[in-house]
Amino acid sequence: MMDKRTLALFAGCILFGILPMFINPYWTDVLNNVGLYTILALSLNIILGHAGLFHMGHAAFYAVGAYTTAILNTQYGVPVMYTMPLAGLLAGIFALIVARPIIHLRGDYLLIVTIGIVEIVRIALVNDIFGLTGGANGIFGIARPSMFGFKIKKPEHFFYLIWGFCLLTIFFMHRLENSRFGRALNYIKEDDVAAEGSGIDTAYYKLIAFVLGAFWAGMTGTIFAAKMTIISPESFSFWESVVLFTIVILGGMGSIRGVLVGAFLIIGLPELFRELAMWRMLVFGLAMILMMIFRTQGLIPPPPRKYDVLAYLKDAIKPSAASAEGGAR
Amino acid sequence: MKKLIHALLLGLVLSLMLSGISWADTIKIGVQAPLTGKYASEGQDMKNIVDILAEKVNAAGGVNGKKVEIIAEDDAFDPKTAALAAQRLTTSGVVAVIGTYGSAITEAAQGIYDEAEVIQIATGSTMVRLTEKGMKYFFRTCPRDDAQGAAAASIIKSFGSKRIAILHDNSSYSKGLAEETKALLDPSTIVFYDALTPGEQDYTTILTKVKGSNPDLLYFPGYYNEAGLLLRQKMEMKWNVPMLGGDATNNADLVKIAGVEAAKGFMFVGPPGVNDLDDPATKEFLATYKARFNVMPASIWSVFAGDAFNVIIEAVKQTGSTEPEKIAEYFHKGLKDYPSLTGTISFDAKGDRAGKFYRLSKVNEKGEFILQ
Amino acid sequence: MEEFFQQLTNGLAVGGIYALIALGYTMVYGVLKLINFAHGDLFTIGAFLGLTLLTSLGLTDHLGAFAGVVVLAAMVIVLVGLIGFLLERTAYRPLRNSPRLSAVVSALGASIFFQNAVMLIWGARPLVYPHNILPKTIVSIFGMDVPLVRIIMLGTSLVLMYALYYLTHKTKIGAAIRAAAIDQGAAKLMGIDVNRVIALVFCIGPALGGAAGVMVGLYYGQISFTMGWLYGLKAFTAAILGGIGNIPGAMVGGLLLGVIESLGAAYISIAWKDAISFLVLILILIIRPTGLLGERVADKV
Repeated sequence: MMDKRTLALFAGCILFGILPMFINPYWTDVLNNVGLYTILALSLNIILGHAGLFHMGHAAFYAVGAYTTAILNTQYGVPVMYTMPLAGLLAGIFALIVARPIIHLRGDYLLIVTIGIVEIVRIALVNDIFGLTGGANGIFGIARPSMFGFKIKKPEHFFYLIWGFCLLTIFFMHRLENSRFGRALNYIKEDDVAAEGSGIDTAYYKLIAFVLGAFWAGMTGTIFAAKMTIISPESFSFWESVVLFTIVILGGMGSIRGVLVGAFLIIGLPELFRELAMWRMLVFGLAMILMMIFRTQGLIPPPPRKYDVLAYLKDAIKPSAASAEGGAR
Repeated sequence: MKKLIHALLLGLVLSLMLSGISWADTIKIGVQAPLTGKYASEGQDMKNIVDILAEKVNAAGGVNGKKVEIIAEDDAFDPKTAALAAQRLTTSGVVAVIGTYGSAITEAAQGIYDEAEVIQIATGSTMVRLTEKGMKYFFRTCPRDDAQGAAAASIIKSFGSKRIAILHDNSSYSKGLAEETKALLDPSTIVFYDALTPGEQDYTTILTKVKGSNPDLLYFPGYYNEAGLLLRQKMEMKWNVPMLGGDATNNADLVKIAGVEAAKGFMFVGPPGVNDLDDPATKEFLATYKARFNVMPASIWSVFAGDAFNVIIEAVKQTGSTEPEKIAEYFHKGLKDYPSLTGTISFDAKGDRAGKFYRLSKVNEKGEFILQ
Repeated sequence: MEEFFQQLTNGLAVGGIYALIALGYTMVYGVLKLINFAHGDLFTIGAFLGLTLLTSLGLTDHLGAFAGVVVLAAMVIVLVGLIGFLLERTAYRPLRNSPRLSAVVSALGASIFFQNAVMLIWGARPLVYPHNILPKTIVSIFGMDVPLVRIIMLGTSLVLMYALYYLTHKTKIGAAIRAAAIDQGAAKLMGIDVNRVIALVFCIGPALGGAAGVMVGLYYGQISFTMGWLYGLKAFTAAILGGIGNIPGAMVGGLLLGVIESLGAAYISIAWKDAISFLVLILILIIRPTGLLGERVADKV
């Protein structure tokens, strides 16, 4: 039977799921934003949290996805949900092209290059590159998504779309963490050189991390574009990358729960602080500093992986028992 | 300890959520503006102006026997935050919303207001397509790029300029105005067209490049900060080409930044600026503003917010109701030449401000703006 | 050709300012391995403090232009240095033993805090420095008109940079700074009070940034609470370009970035100027991953 914790988690999810019926559309929309940022932060988590790559340019991948959807939908009439995989794909390809030459850069150099990338993308968008992006005015008139004939329009509808996708993302990330790929990334994060020495092709894995993270961010861009119905370069600035970066670090690098809590705080707090009007961001900046000082590992850091050595040895002595090596906790 | 923290957090959240509850039975008017972020000075001015006007109305007994309450929400010049601000305002029971500044930001909120059937009067959004969507609750008290562009183009033509250099700052407003003006000029007369980066301060490189194309007029439909810097650095280069700006260059600080000597001869096209409004009510209002905040409003955009407030109050008064339906109808049909801060206001069928009100002004050797 | 040299000079003048600000980034990074995102905002604070001091104390009225500016710069240097010291104490020291990225987030928080503090204290709209302090003479060099002030600005930047170089390479305290930059643990074992060294670095670096702020205010005239962001990013780019942690690198990086920007704007496109700068940066880093002059810290194997 399910233990108490899983039961509580389940109950919590159900309660969360019926929230939109009780709270007003504004708070639902806040939760929608939290959801979107959670998905984005989880996609960044692969790159930053697991692989330990200093990436502050994630908004660029998000932008590629959102603009792909916007252009395909407004210029070619492709229904929004069909553009989603394409948006992800294009973002992934973009990441491949862009990350390939810089993948071997160290730490802070990679950081500034990723900042440069996101700025270049933003400038390209503002300058109406290829005449497609609408410049500073962006693209408008993006259609609403429809699933199985149901048109998703109001914040309540988007709530289920976004959080449904979020659940999917969490599931996927959880599987990724416990896979060979996830473990390789963590090894690379801890010690790049040793990992290479152990036979892991670090450049390859890092690149895959980028592409995967970008792919996911691209798809999220689709949802964003459909929800806002207009997109403009402002939404994809370096500042957005900073927000995502902060969510991952604050939440605890590599921890799914941490990212979730981080998103709630970073997105929710400025909304709660609205009463403070002009003081809103000042207090927020202070809150950021304090949060890092008091929980430097992040709010919910990933638990260290535990390998039950004794059980492993027992299994090795009794080869009949078929069990995988411990289990990451 | 953990429990205490949890309790405190919960208490904080609840109190903040509940503090949004305000007095019943007031007329609530929303202001959506960039109170923080890069354009905070515009947004804060907007709020200040509306606040002063609201106080005056309340001091005189309110409207239809009720007091006016202003609910201001920050959109930080960001589309996402704007959408959230709009959601918040539409669930706060406002009659109408004044704002915002920035066309893309206004557009992000537009759909939400339209769906919620709340009146929106944009005050700093000149992009043409905002009023081309047939939204009956959307209006604006600021001009539109094509109307302004036409005014600028005809003035440029009247100068007889043969080699025109156009610089903009890639913002929605500036580029929009530049494009509209350019479209109406003879293509063979345009020798330079590019964008500078606002927020930087060194424009010598750009000016050197423009100088290389040998123009006889420099048109800069951008903001007064950059215009001031351009004038100053242009003078340092000993370059005397005449310069023409758009309405956002109309600000007394322009002369402060450029220095009286560099600013002399600078011209701009636009609706009357804060300083040339002769209406006594306007002058009185400006005096009150100056007394409280020690400066004049930074630009014309925030004054358009004051206009928006005035017409909303007038509409509520005349229709005796706060139904958006009735107010929208009044705006379209009833409001004619209502005297307000920047001149007389009427709205056309699309919700745009009707009437021509662009004038050319020039800076004299004392640094004053003189209407031509 | 004349235009080329004119643009080159334009670029060098701006580059001097980038270099000054970059020095602050690079010093802090060298010792703490921290990218102080709040550095650009310290530059802004310097500019605003300078204006307030200048107008309220009437320095140039009483002391004359030259002495007034020097005194003003000195005051701002001391004040911003103090703020830098306090910043390190409150926001970074508690994170000394934490993962690096935690300090980065704290730095970002500090940046937001400072920027909004400036907005709330001095108001959201741009302020203007008085005009008549700096000389307006324009000198003619090789047929180009260069305002004397630009030359003075570049000269001052170079002097300050040399002073810093002298400090770090020819004095005992400088040796201590460099030792702490190479290996904090070993430096402690050698008897160096690393805490004091770090505090000192956080006084000097931000102080230079503050001085740059005053220079920018005096020369360009206009200051706004958001200007730190753009200058900070460019200065950071310049520091990386030259090799982060490397003081001469910051100098070279700053000047080079100014020139690249200028020539990029002049010969390719003004609207794409910043994108071009970043592109050049990326290209240089691909070829030389540790920046032009390389890092001062040994890479572990």
